Amino acid sequence: MGSGISDAFDMNAGDSIGELPGKPVEVSSNPAEWLKKNLFANIANTLLTVVGGIATVLVLRGVLNFVFSEERRWDAVRTNLRALMTLAYPESQYARIWVSVAVLVTLVGLSSGLWANWGTIRVQRLCRWGMSLGGFIILCILLREPSVLLDSNGIVLRDSFSEPVRESFSSAMMSRSTWWIVGISFGGSGLAGWYRLDSTGRTKTVSATSTVLVPLGVLVVSLWVAPYGHYAYSDGLFIAEPGERVALSTSIPWTWLYLLLLATMVLGRFVRNSDLAGIAKTLVNVSWVISPFVLYWVILRDPDFDYAHVVSTDLPMGLLFGFLGSIILWWLTRSTGETARIFAVCLVGIAGFNWVAAAFGWYPMLQKARISFLLLAVAALLAPNFVGELAKRKKLVTYWLTTMLLVHYMATTINSPSTVDISSSEFLGGLSITLFVAALTIMFSFPLGVLLALGRTSKFPIFRVLSTGYIEIIRGVPLITILIFFSVMVPLFLPRGMELAELAAAITGYTLFSAAYLAENVRGGLQSVRNGQFEAADALGLTSVQRTGFIVLPQALRVSIPPLVGQVIATYKETSLLAIIGIFDFLRVANSAIPSQTAFLGVKREGLLVVSAIYFIFAFTTSKYSQRLERRLGVGER
Amino acid sequence: MADTARSSLTQSRPPFYRDVTVVKWVVQIFVLAVVIGSMFFLASEAGDNLRASNVPTDYDFLSVNPGIDLSEGIDRDPDTGGRALWVGMVNTLRMALAGIALATFVGVIIGLCRLSNNWLLNKIGSAYVELIRNVPLLVQILLYGSVFANLPRVTQSVGPISGWLHLSNKGLSVPRFHIADGFYQWAIVVMVGLVLANYVRKKRVGIQDLTGDDTRPIRSALLVLLGVSAVGWFVHPVFGFLNTPLRQISEGISLIPQAAVQVALAVVALALAVRWVIKFLDARRSPAGLAKLTDDDYFRIIFALAGALIMVFVVLILWPGLSSWLLNAVSDFFTVLSEKFGNGRSGRPLDVALPDVIQVGKFPNYGPSGLNLSIGFAAVFFGVVFYTAAFIAEIVRGGVLAVPRGQSEAANALGLRRWTVLRRVILPQAARNMLPPLGNQYLNLAKNTSLAIAVGYSDIVQVGQTVYNQTGKTLPVVSIWMLFYLSCSLTISVVVNFFNVRTKIVER
Amino acid sequence: MSVNDATTAVSEELAKRKDMIVCVGVDKWYGDFQALKGVSATIKEGEVAVVCGPSGSGKSTWIRCINRLEVHQNGTIIVDGVELTNDLRNIEKIRSEVGMVFQQFNLFPHLTVLDNVTLAPIWVRKKPRVEAEALAKALLERVGIPEQADKFPGQLSGGQQQRVAIARSLAMEPRVMLFDEPTSALDPEMIKEVLDVMRELAESGMTMIVVTHEMGFAREVADRIIFMEGGEIVEVGTPEHFFVSPTEDRTKLFLSQIL
Repeated sequence: MGSGISDAFDMNAGDSIGELPGKPVEVSSNPAEWLKKNLFANIANTLLTVVGGIATVLVLRGVLNFVFSEERRWDAVRTNLRALMTLAYPESQYARIWVSVAVLVTLVGLSSGLWANWGTIRVQRLCRWGMSLGGFIILCILLREPSVLLDSNGIVLRDSFSEPVRESFSSAMMSRSTWWIVGISFGGSGLAGWYRLDSTGRTKTVSATSTVLVPLGVLVVSLWVAPYGHYAYSDGLFIAEPGERVALSTSIPWTWLYLLLLATMVLGRFVRNSDLAGIAKTLVNVSWVISPFVLYWVILRDPDFDYAHVVSTDLPMGLLFGFLGSIILWWLTRSTGETARIFAVCLVGIAGFNWVAAAFGWYPMLQKARISFLLLAVAALLAPNFVGELAKRKKLVTYWLTTMLLVHYMATTINSPSTVDISSSEFLGGLSITLFVAALTIMFSFPLGVLLALGRTSKFPIFRVLSTGYIEIIRGVPLITILIFFSVMVPLFLPRGMELAELAAAITGYTLFSAAYLAENVRGGLQSVRNGQFEAADALGLTSVQRTGFIVLPQALRVSIPPLVGQVIATYKETSLLAIIGIFDFLRVANSAIPSQTAFLGVKREGLLVVSAIYFIFAFTTSKYSQRLERRLGVGER
Repeated sequence: MADTARSSLTQSRPPFYRDVTVVKWVVQIFVLAVVIGSMFFLASEAGDNLRASNVPTDYDFLSVNPGIDLSEGIDRDPDTGGRALWVGMVNTLRMALAGIALATFVGVIIGLCRLSNNWLLNKIGSAYVELIRNVPLLVQILLYGSVFANLPRVTQSVGPISGWLHLSNKGLSVPRFHIADGFYQWAIVVMVGLVLANYVRKKRVGIQDLTGDDTRPIRSALLVLLGVSAVGWFVHPVFGFLNTPLRQISEGISLIPQAAVQVALAVVALALAVRWVIKFLDARRSPAGLAKLTDDDYFRIIFALAGALIMVFVVLILWPGLSSWLLNAVSDFFTVLSEKFGNGRSGRPLDVALPDVIQVGKFPNYGPSGLNLSIGFAAVFFGVVFYTAAFIAEIVRGGVLAVPRGQSEAANALGLRRWTVLRRVILPQAARNMLPPLGNQYLNLAKNTSLAIAVGYSDIVQVGQTVYNQTGKTLPVVSIWMLFYLSCSLTISVVVNFFNVRTKIVER
Repeated sequence: MSVNDATTAVSEELAKRKDMIVCVGVDKWYGDFQALKGVSATIKEGEVAVVCGPSGSGKSTWIRCINRLEVHQNGTIIVDGVELTNDLRNIEKIRSEVGMVFQQFNLFPHLTVLDNVTLAPIWVRKKPRVEAEALAKALLERVGIPEQADKFPGQLSGGQQQRVAIARSLAMEPRVMLFDEPTSALDPEMIKEVLDVMRELAESGMTMIVVTHEMGFAREVADRIIFMEGGEIVEVGTPEHFFVSPTEDRTKLFLSQIL
């Protein structure tokens, strides 16, 4: 018995050991041989195969019977799709949502055109996928129990033992004809490809991009032809028209989005090979970083500027800071020397004092001015790195002007009321708030996490103690306690009755939490940078900031890409906790909003299944993409 | 030449703002000051705002009757807030410990499946891991909860095995093992058995080493332990006499004056610090004389001494209650222990109670005698177990794959059988790779039980939320949560570290 | 061994030049282990000093102290008239005056060869990029690999990497070059190409301190050989003196083991 089990589980004795984990077992030409080798190698192995097979069939059958049961109310989800995505966003303003999605799609398209080299996939592999998918679908069709018969009132018919009466097996198979077609066409095309192609044909490749774009295109086209049914909830009425095609308000935007994706990808590919590639890449990067803010403040919120105030106060102030700051920075970068550093330290002091003074109400300096001052101090601290040729000095001034104008613009929009006609407490909800919180959390926690990691690996003991203490405390407590803590604490520091205080609290909590974990990932990367790199940088006379920025961080971050992607996925999954602290993310919509609608009282499982599926699709594709990325990076490594 | 060179070398100190050491420490102290200052500032601001908006922050609720009922736990109707939180803590720990055990079991099996040569098992393992890992735990818990909530209603004869195993929309009810009358007396016997078994094992190993015969040391030791425990089942009342000495110890401890404990604690703290410093200096001393200490060395010494002084300050002045609390706790412990002995305890050490269904009002429900696991418990429990198991499976797989192939080849070349190779060569090395991440997962599991708040299982977070909803004292409750979870984390990392040190390969 | 012997052991011509590096009584501890015990030596401008000795004798530690990769705890180090103290300004100055080449090359793997060479001139010397790149190309030409400028270090052989490392140090236009066993990590067939570059550098009048086990190189190029053992300088002398008639027993033992 012992040796049998060890055979079945002995990975080191078998031939799979040298392979990369996750690499599929190469299919030998003869199916019988393959079966013998991979399923029935010896008695113990056969036994395990039988047990595993029975268990799989039972579980699959249970899941299918559950999902396709006549008792499932899938129309609850279909009707509430819009609520799941955006909750209470008014129908009249919905164009804004589409514009936001279009902006994101544009960025995705441009980025993948500019950077992505997804490589190719072998036809052989596609064929295998087709065969497995088709086989799986057919297996599912066969396993699902025949449907329960309903009487004219929709009540389940029962026999004398009060067991439900089911249709006959043959009629059940007949009624699943659509699924048969789908399964056979997948399996058949895979099989046909497999046997039609000779060995050279199978090793041919197709681009991985097309394996994503073609199915997406088929889905979009099917919106126009397939009878998915028309379900909606509008003006307090539930619309349920099974057998209809989806409404034009769904199919038209999606078609446009798909075309936009194609167009931007082509554009990106085109720009990539031109001289503009460098500028385009920078622009797209910047757009990604500012997109959540711009989308929120400009498109979804649409500030209603008080132009008199803007012209009299906001504009002059922005220009003043931009102008004065530029002069100061230009002067600071004229030559190296301690004057610049001393001046910068003075600026930091003054900027810090402004905040203290404002906190005690000593003199009323506008918040915008205080923030600008602080930014100027930071820029002054960086100034010694930009001393030298004209181009570098200009670069610093340009950075300064852009940051300043952006900050002033954002501050102005924050302080302006919105023209979008809804209360801000239910401003956004559903999946969109989930994505919004996840994006902001990742963006804010990244710099904080890098700083903490640097602190933890620092030579300076106090920095080390501070960072380690922070990281370990945060990692020692559950996220929910931190979220609740900040949902009490953050509103204390915000102006009374400010909009979206809950959301600000949640993002603060998420950011501080996820920064600690991110720091640990980056720390792994930092520790992998060899000591010689530090020494070489020191020997060349680089300052410690330059050493960190040019030598250490680029290498460390490259190593930590896989765990960082893991952290992104984790953050995205953690946004589900928004439901607990009272924000209507799509989990909460599925878990409590839908079940409390009169038409769908207590219908919970369907919504939760859909939510799981959406989470799964996002997380799974991201992790697969990161594995691909990891392999590709690994190839280039020495 | 040399003289002129030397005379020109006046060890000039640079101005302080260019001195590396000074700058280094000034920067650090400045940042420390900024951090402490801003925390102080934030805290005082928060305090002001809390007072302004009349949010209470005291801990009175701990000794006031909260007037809440808990869904389950050792005390369904706690009479103080502190007791309610205590019940929540026990519930959390119960869930975490059981979860860790089961998650390890499931995880190892799935991990072995993923390593298997069997195609089907391999795919099952992969599908499990990918499915579970990519769906948020909270969603899974809610899903399980809603599925369980749709189970059949409770009736007087609810199955599957009425009277033994009840499953319904009120949860699961199974026979409950509990410690009874003579347990502590019996525990003494078992401890004696352990000592005996260990002695037998050592003896047998000695014989095996000498003669080479297989003496089966583990098996004999287990047999001895079983035998002694079985005999102890009947003769345990002879240990009833322990009642008196334990009580006398308790009384003796309560006679110690509080000041003595304070002084003792202070002396211990100081002595530890001084001993550490002396050892540290010794390590820096060589035949050539005491090495010049670096800045870090000074920092460490100052840190150790300052820590000791702070301890002394805390023990003597800031918190004298600590010492009396320690005294009382130890004394109480012995009192409670003494009560477990004697007094005519002669019954079975362990007992079992079968579940039952009772009908008090209109609806039947599970009675108190069985071990009742509510829907909430089941949802959270299966949620954390399945979720953590997926991660443990990956750790197991990674750990085994990380053992170099040469190891099994070398072992095979020695002519060892496969099972022996697996047990003696692969698994010990894999275990060492797996331990640290495994500890992390246990920690995550313990923390993830806090999601019980979503399905209403009375863990510490859910109870805490109920308490602060009643009293409005959110921050004190949050502080108790954090302390509790931090001490759990600390315990788990201490345990994992202990094993980690033991399994570490000695490298030069 | 005093500094006197060290200076009298060199030629008249060399003795007249100015002092480039002066070390007096340098001590260094690692914990309770004393790595340097009162090391004193003077290196003249344009001199090539080869440091040799058994492993663990403190050779590397000593030259690493000279540009403060390690901090010495007692004694004085003066480089080109600037004393190496805690003074930030002096450390900056000395590090930009002293180039160093490491045993493991320590090129920056994420930057191209050209970026490796131009990084420090641009950011430390504040040179315009165009000027820095011209300099870098000239230096790559000088070390014999102008065609590799756009490759990454990982794509080069060990010998090529070490030559890039030399070019990287030279790009800072240092007054002194320190070599820490530059050929120890190389395959035998690559050692020559690196030694050729170093020989050319020595002939151009660069002040160099070379820690190496290449005795042929030492005999041919060195103005002076410094023999260290147990953290002390045991013997200093011209190559003829050192290889032909060493005075100290420890030197003789060492030479008998390696030759």
